[in-house]
Amino acid sequence: MLNLTMMNHRIVITGLGIVSSIGVGKEEFWKNCLQGVSAIKPIRGFDVRSYLSKLGVQLPEIDFKTFIKPANLRRMDRIGKIVVSSVRMALDDSGLTLSKEDPNRMGLCIGTGLGSSDTVDQFFRSLLKDGPTGAAPLLFQTAVPNAISSHCSIEYGIKGVNLTFSHKETSTEMAMAFACHQLKEGKADVILAGGGDELSEPLYHVYSMLGALSPGRGKGPEGMRPFDQDRNGIVLGEGSGILVLERLEHAEKRGARIYAEIAGVGMAGSTDGLLRFDQKGDSIAKAMSLAADEIQIVDYISAAANSTPVLDRAETLAIKKVFGERTREISVSSLKSMIGEFDGSGGIRACGMALSLYHGMVPPTIGTKHLDSECNLNVVLGQSEKREIRSALLNSCSNGGSNISLWFKEYSSPPLFSHEKIEITEIDDPRKSQAEEHCRIARPLEDDTHDHGSQAHPQIHGRCSCSHNWTSRRTGNLDSIGH
Amino acid sequence: MRKRIVVTGLGVVSAVGNNLSEFWDSLINGRDGTKEITAFDPSLYRTKIAAEVSGLNPRSHFSKKELRRLSRCDQFGLIAFREAWRSARFDQDPIDKERVGVVLGAGSGGILSVEKYFRDFYQGMKRPSPSLLISYSLATTTDLIAIESGLKGPRTTTATVCSSSSASIGVAYEMIQMGLADVVISGGSDSLCEVSFSGFSSLKLVDPESCKPFDKRRQGLIIGEGAGILILEELEHALRRDAPIHSEIGGYAICADAYHLTSPEPNGEGVERVIRIALAHAGIFPEEVDTINAHGTATPLNDIAETRGIKRVFGERDKEIPISGIKSMVGHCLGSAGGIEAVATVRTLETGIIPPTIHYEVPDPLCDLNYTPNRSIQKDVQIAISNSFAFGGNNVCLVFRKFPPPSPLGGEGKGRC
Repeated sequence: MLNLTMMNHRIVITGLGIVSSIGVGKEEFWKNCLQGVSAIKPIRGFDVRSYLSKLGVQLPEIDFKTFIKPANLRRMDRIGKIVVSSVRMALDDSGLTLSKEDPNRMGLCIGTGLGSSDTVDQFFRSLLKDGPTGAAPLLFQTAVPNAISSHCSIEYGIKGVNLTFSHKETSTEMAMAFACHQLKEGKADVILAGGGDELSEPLYHVYSMLGALSPGRGKGPEGMRPFDQDRNGIVLGEGSGILVLERLEHAEKRGARIYAEIAGVGMAGSTDGLLRFDQKGDSIAKAMSLAADEIQIVDYISAAANSTPVLDRAETLAIKKVFGERTREISVSSLKSMIGEFDGSGGIRACGMALSLYHGMVPPTIGTKHLDSECNLNVVLGQSEKREIRSALLNSCSNGGSNISLWFKEYSSPPLFSHEKIEITEIDDPRKSQAEEHCRIARPLEDDTHDHGSQAHPQIHGRCSCSHNWTSRRTGNLDSIGH
Repeated sequence: MRKRIVVTGLGVVSAVGNNLSEFWDSLINGRDGTKEITAFDPSLYRTKIAAEVSGLNPRSHFSKKELRRLSRCDQFGLIAFREAWRSARFDQDPIDKERVGVVLGAGSGGILSVEKYFRDFYQGMKRPSPSLLISYSLATTTDLIAIESGLKGPRTTTATVCSSSSASIGVAYEMIQMGLADVVISGGSDSLCEVSFSGFSSLKLVDPESCKPFDKRRQGLIIGEGAGILILEELEHALRRDAPIHSEIGGYAICADAYHLTSPEPNGEGVERVIRIALAHAGIFPEEVDTINAHGTATPLNDIAETRGIKRVFGERDKEIPISGIKSMVGHCLGSAGGIEAVATVRTLETGIIPPTIHYEVPDPLCDLNYTPNRSIQKDVQIAISNSFAFGGNNVCLVFRKFPPPSPLGGEGKGRC
């Protein structure tokens, strides 16, 4: 069982940046989220006459100049602008002063399913039309999936850990999980984690051709109805959500507002098929139980349920399997009913989760009229619910079978115990200054207690300011430098 | 306490060999995999060559039905994975598949298939085959490997293109550290496609003749394709089943230049930082590094920045350390480049042979290190690092250690030191 709180560092959420179809910015998003506003509308911007589906959940017109300098806007494509704007909002919300932070100790972990799908399409069309001369270098450089995190790192000068994940519906959750682990290992003080996706015509086409979009062959009209007996597929959405994740000590030192804590990560794979979700819910259950160390204090589950027949049923089975008799006590809701389903939805849903824990409110699942008897969970329908949330799970499941669950905990003041401090031993060593120079640049964390040596050798426990035990192969001895 | 993690399985598909032994034999003999492109029609491009995989008969690996649904990228990935799985002896040893994860890096992934679909679609075909769209996601190869072998551990895909598969090894390492798995399949697979080829061409980053890393005449990269798969295993787990251990992963680092969307930071500051953090993570001094598997794309800017970065880390010793640029032979395989280079790095540790940088003739005063020109060399290699850099300055450095490490009492160490 993995429990991040048990290890060196607690990881807290101190800032939120949201660009969603139901609101840009935390306030508007949360107000509409609690009121159960639907942003599902007929698709704008491209022709959907040839498709069975006509609906989408698109972002409102956004004036990106509010968030990004006009000179920098020019090099970004739409998804770049969307994510960079959400990073801007998250940074502002966290109260971090970039000039006071060490850029090497700040990181970015971004998840995106398809990234710049529209740019790739434009590039490809121009290539088809004009041959090699049609290939536009400016489009190509923004077409790679990691362009999004590059835009963010360049815009804000963030030089630490930087990684992009792309694994369908679990992309952003993985980014957050990895960010938490990097913080816990002491590789950074602050990581901006999350991400998003854009709704583009080629993407709509692909989803439609693969039969993922509502109404598909199912009963009932087109729409997003998680856990409903007449659910028949997804409505494609778009947007981005970024969380400022921070080590607790760092957040406390600067007196930051803390929304919640991320206390555990669980992951498991199912192997039912390339375009199939976990059919029986076993892997989803495994991910949840790996994530939550204390399942008895889970009060809310932000479900992955996306209005497809299989996933909603499998997730129900999984929740029952993990929580047994407690199942009815747990409020369940799917924010996807409001923001639509898309690969990078986890960023926004995680922001929603942080707000739920902070305010003690569970947003409703909208659109669902008749709860399926196979999905008989305590689904919060129609209206938001006020309740104490001690801890909660954010589930995500991708077709193909990756399942990730993140365990969020209400933040309650300082830990009951502080971990033991190990004495620093001073040892004279001619390589001290070299080690110092080395550590100045590659500066791991102060209370990192990694042991890099092998156990069979006698060793002196000493820790330099970066606390590394250096192993010297040349001398054949294991020695440590304290400085 | 940090867990120790070792490499117990290796698998490769590349332009210079479709399995590990052919691949390694070609590398140490300096064979160039560059050839005329057949994956698409290159006649309108200035460069008509690439390091394309050849001599691989998909029929001998997959059924007809499977082949209809598998993209070229998926095929490479699965073939390399099967080799790695066998070499780690998982086809014989019992293994808890709930504890086996898959983390691959992706580049252009199945775009070749999706490209085919949209080419037909935009050119007016009524109903192109939707099965070409199955590989729309970069996660496809990762999922296929897990599904084929029923692996139920954690699963994800990294997407920083040119450094993806190196990053995947870092993420796989952390999956084991996090206690979510005992064994993780890592590395990556990628195939040639016109989108990435034309993109690099449009940025004027492709050399029309050959890939000449660190040479003064270099004009850019040669696009390659293939797959490089490494199986990472927790040391205790590997020792319990007496697995073949190829090397140990000392540590890694992933960070950013925060400089430019396509160009590297010119002074090598980003390169310096990633190498230093990786070495610190592994608890190794710069003076202990015996060889470097360079990113060495042969673009004018990369090679200078990388050289400067290496000099900043290694100071006076910089010219002693043999550096190898195997992209001169296997091309730049984008999403699988880091995986293939990591396989080569591991083999270097095992055999003590450092593969050469071929096509090296005219030294560049701005790139004045020991690039192991044209012929492989023998050396006692205990510590090797592998660099991978990507667009946007998404840099990765991996540190590998020989396993078992040398015994302090002299002589060959046996088992655990």
